[in-house]
Amino acid sequence: MVLEIVVMIKQVPDSQEVVIDPVTFTLNRSAARNVINPADENAIEAALRIKDKVGAHITVITMGPPFAESALIDCMSRGVDDAVLVSDRAFAGADTYPTGLTLAACIKKLGKYDIIFAGEESTDSSTGHVGPGVAEFLGTDQASYTSESWYDNGFVYAKRELEDGTEVVKMKPPTLITVLTNANDPRRATLRMKIDATKKGIKTMTLADLGMPPEWVGLKGSPTVVKSMKAIDEKKREGKKFKLEEIPKLVDELIEKKIISI
Amino acid sequence: MSEFDVIVVGAGPAGASAAIKLATSGSSVLLVERGDPPGSKNVSGGVLWGDSMGSVIPDWEKTAPMERYVEAKGVSFLTKDSKISIDFRSRKLQERRSGYTVLRTKLDQWLAKKAKDSGAMVAAGITVDKLAFKADQVIGVEQDGDVITSDVVILAEGANPRVAINSGIREKLVDRDVAIGVKEIIKLPEKTITERFNLTSPKMGFASEYVLGFLDGGVKAGGFIYTNKESISLGLVISMKEMRENNNTRSFDLIEQFKEHPYIAPLIEGGRVDEYSAHMVQEGGIKSVPQLYGNGYMIVGDGAGFSFSNGMVLQGMNYAIASGIAAAESAMKAKIKSNFSKGSLSSYEERLKSSFVLQDLMNFKGIEDVTWSDMIHRGIPNISEELFLSLFSENGQPKKHLYNNLIRSIGSSEVPRKDMIINMYRMLRRM
Ligand SMILES: Cc1cc2nc3c(=O)[nH]c(=O)nc-3n(C[C@H](O)[C@H](O)[C@H](O)COP(=O)(O)OP(=O)(O)OC[C@H]3O[C@@H](n4cnc5c(N)ncnc54)[C@H](O)[C@@H]3O)c2cc1C
Ligand SMILES: Cc1cc2nc3c(=O)[nH]c(=O)nc-3n(C[C@H](O)[C@H](O)[C@H](O)COP(=O)(O)OP(=O)(O)OC[C@H]3O[C@@H](n4cnc5c(N)ncnc54)[C@H](O)[C@@H]3O)c2cc1C
Repeated sequence: MVLEIVVMIKQVPDSQEVVIDPVTFTLNRSAARNVINPADENAIEAALRIKDKVGAHITVITMGPPFAESALIDCMSRGVDDAVLVSDRAFAGADTYPTGLTLAACIKKLGKYDIIFAGEESTDSSTGHVGPGVAEFLGTDQASYTSESWYDNGFVYAKRELEDGTEVVKMKPPTLITVLTNANDPRRATLRMKIDATKKGIKTMTLADLGMPPEWVGLKGSPTVVKSMKAIDEKKREGKKFKLEEIPKLVDELIEKKIISI
Repeated sequence: MSEFDVIVVGAGPAGASAAIKLATSGSSVLLVERGDPPGSKNVSGGVLWGDSMGSVIPDWEKTAPMERYVEAKGVSFLTKDSKISIDFRSRKLQERRSGYTVLRTKLDQWLAKKAKDSGAMVAAGITVDKLAFKADQVIGVEQDGDVITSDVVILAEGANPRVAINSGIREKLVDRDVAIGVKEIIKLPEKTITERFNLTSPKMGFASEYVLGFLDGGVKAGGFIYTNKESISLGLVISMKEMRENNNTRSFDLIEQFKEHPYIAPLIEGGRVDEYSAHMVQEGGIKSVPQLYGNGYMIVGDGAGFSFSNGMVLQGMNYAIASGIAAAESAMKAKIKSNFSKGSLSSYEERLKSSFVLQDLMNFKGIEDVTWSDMIHRGIPNISEELFLSLFSENGQPKKHLYNNLIRSIGSSEVPRKDMIINMYRMLRRM
């Protein structure tokens, strides 16, 4: 049986091109072109490396507007086999909860899944909720903050980068893995694969295809309510200078202010 | 059987026009572009002169993302303290057709979409490595080790033709055939632009070329300003030869000097630089045009050296489009005959010879010697500055005849009189 891998990707405005409106302090997203969320590029590469080693069938999915098509074709041009765009007006305004729920429903619809990859977090909202959310909705194991993962003899292994070291976890599929930004060096699309991908095209799923009640998705299904937003003025920090021989005094002060502890 | 009738490399105006023409006529076309989205690698801005686009997209004037229609065209000589200009405005210019200012990021994306809608397959974000050969026949392109086959390849890769060079079908570029263009897009409100440039409506635009006779160290460069809807394209072109002769002068230093000129600064005051880019410009004229076709391939646009600059206008997009269409027509004819040999594709050059593309290049042979001459960059600006100063100032001295003033002004120029006369003659002959 071939290993089934699903990669979840999100389109985000290119952070290098996002302009912050000097008056309202909001992001002017329209000015920036859309790119694949950087961590998701690494998630795709992680999936492709497993496919290179042991063979797999990879499906990439995204929930978003129709213009996500070119990003999906781009994924297929690197070696991903199939792509699904989950798109419906009803999904608009989703917060992280219905986003995860919708993606989980899509993955179930696809049939068998062994490994699900997600980026650690997006660059435009950066909650890091969606990956773990999907794992919870599907009831699978999960490994977050991973820099590397592999498949061997029926088990999925993932190397997690933690504050005090690294941890390798061994899991039985199905499992969900979130991948750190810059975990690997993503490969580029080739012309041959781009031609094949363009011919093959992507699949689309709507709310009706997923068979979810409309009140579970989009704005209606979102428990978060944004009450207000304001730009935060950067507080000028008061600096304090210490001479070299005063370092013990500095340490004392830092301990006193609970900035460090020994 | 080839996978495609035609593969087009590069989705600038030349490649996109070829692809649209071919796809609309039912050929199977693959258009490959390095930038994703198309246009992201191109220097935004410029004036699209004429109506070349009309023969591929008849309703382009209504649907293409144009900025402003050029109702005012200027040519200026700048010295350190002065600006001597022609500022031509005429309602007749609109009837005769001038051009539209465009932003390439928008235009190229639109063209690529047109190509896709006409049935071409567009592969963006992919760089072609080289042509693929079988014996001496081009059979497609090579990318990342794969060969994609087609009956004909149209190379539309722009001013830096690496594919053609890597494939051994053309010589390397030499310094004297290339110039560097640098450009900034400066944001300004639509209303400010319309007012500052005295335009009759927000739809109308101003385009001007500048001879920059005042740059530090006597560096010769040509400047330009084009008005877009809500921005100004400002930049300059400097020949590679000139760069090297001046110890690799930095182009961004020059652009600053241009922007700080007393009569340029007020035009861009309050504007914010939104984009900065640099790009090669072909300046070699007819002598730098390579072999344009061969077994299974044709070269179009900037990659073929098709551009025209005489210090008063800088044109390339119109030649790019016209040559793209000519190549598409020849490819279609070759398909009917099922003959993709050099002989069969030679009709491409015939088409160019009977159109403005090669005729302009032949008629203006050697013009680059004039455009980069001391006379243009120092002689004319200095002489006219002197002349107009004596004509337009009043210092209580008895007035002289215009002729005497002119002779005196020529005498005050640092350019030797003999050189002036030779260049004046050349200019009249070649311009
Ligand atoms: C308080 C709050 C309110 C919000 N309100 C709105 C709103 O009103 N309207 C609105 O449109 N958005 C809203 N958002 C944004 C929206 O919730 C998120 O963009 C989306 O749910 C994904 O969250 P994230 O970007 O934080 O993803 P993260 O959890 O940081 O992303 C991690 C990974 O999950 C995967 N992933 C995330 N999103 C998708 C997706 N769409 N498809 C496939 N994979 C995905 C990717 O692999 C990604 O790398 C809100 C967010 C918050 C925190
Ligand atoms: C500063 C400046 C100002 C100018 N102003 C004007 C003006 O006002 N009016 C005017 O008419 N002309 C102007 N020009 C000239 C004009 O830009 C060019 O003549 C015109 O763009 C040529 O079109 P093209 O399609 O041949 O090449 P390009 O527009 O350069 O397009 C070539 C395309 O090929 C792609 N490409 C290259 N190599 C590969 C590869 N290996 N694989 C895949 N894709 C590849 C590139 O990314 C690019 O998109 C100006 C040029 C400069 C630099």
